Amino acid sequence: MWTYDKKLQYPVKIKNPNANYAKIIISQLGGPDGELAASMRYLHQRYSMPDNRVVGILTDIGTEELAHLEMIAAILHQLTKGLSPEELKKAGMDIYFVDHTAGLYPIAASGVPFDMKYVGVKGDAIADLNEDLAAEQKARVTYDNILRMVDDPDVRDPIKYLRQRELVHYQRFGDALRLVQDGLDSKNFYAINPSFDK
Amino acid sequence: MSDRTRLANRIKAADFALYELVLYLDAYPDDRRALAYFGKYKKMAEMLKAEYQQKYGPLTAFENTDPHHWQWVEGPWPWEKEAN
Repeated sequence: MWTYDKKLQYPVKIKNPNANYAKIIISQLGGPDGELAASMRYLHQRYSMPDNRVVGILTDIGTEELAHLEMIAAILHQLTKGLSPEELKKAGMDIYFVDHTAGLYPIAASGVPFDMKYVGVKGDAIADLNEDLAAEQKARVTYDNILRMVDDPDVRDPIKYLRQRELVHYQRFGDALRLVQDGLDSKNFYAINPSFDK
Repeated sequence: MSDRTRLANRIKAADFALYELVLYLDAYPDDRRALAYFGKYKKMAEMLKAEYQQKYGPLTAFENTDPHHWQWVEGPWPWEKEAN
């Protein structure tokens, strides 16, 4: 089960609200390569993993992604707090405001709400871990794209932290894939599904 | 920067080092050096958290120690500017 620590993993302190930034950063809340997708992917894949170390990695990275989801929420909260409906309209957030006001709803920048279809759980360790490697790279690219469009250093700082974490997770999933492969027949990795056959 | 913020940042830093070690040890559970680092940072984090909780209230719901008041529901919440 989960314990909640009443602190962010990394500080978010944004002096200047900016709805234009919020409009794009929200993709890391509810978009295809965002933190909600990541946490759901890893936390659900762990149940069929054949190796204790890989179950540990997926549990702990999945949990960390929930902490990152909270950081994105903190960024969005501070970017939109205190803005008037007129200011939100000027940034094009009137479309969001009408349904969600200043609430935080997991949605992509395109307006598409979060969809579990973004998450793959194939029940095969090799397929699942390859998905995870790709997921971390896609998240990294999304953060790169955010950094191209955001100038405020208060916002760039936690975004750069989150981007860095994706690179570390990528390394850890690389380790996990290698661990699984080491336990398979080196002449044919696909002779069995290590998550299913015994 | 207030004492509360300074202490909170030191806790975030210690917990971050611990989490990095958690992820590494998940893959390499017998790495002696990593296990030693984990022990060292754990002690540091525990000291910092004891000080923080005594001054500013619980960091987890179970750490509420005030028998007269459920401090857990006091603000600010982690996503608010005032908490960072």
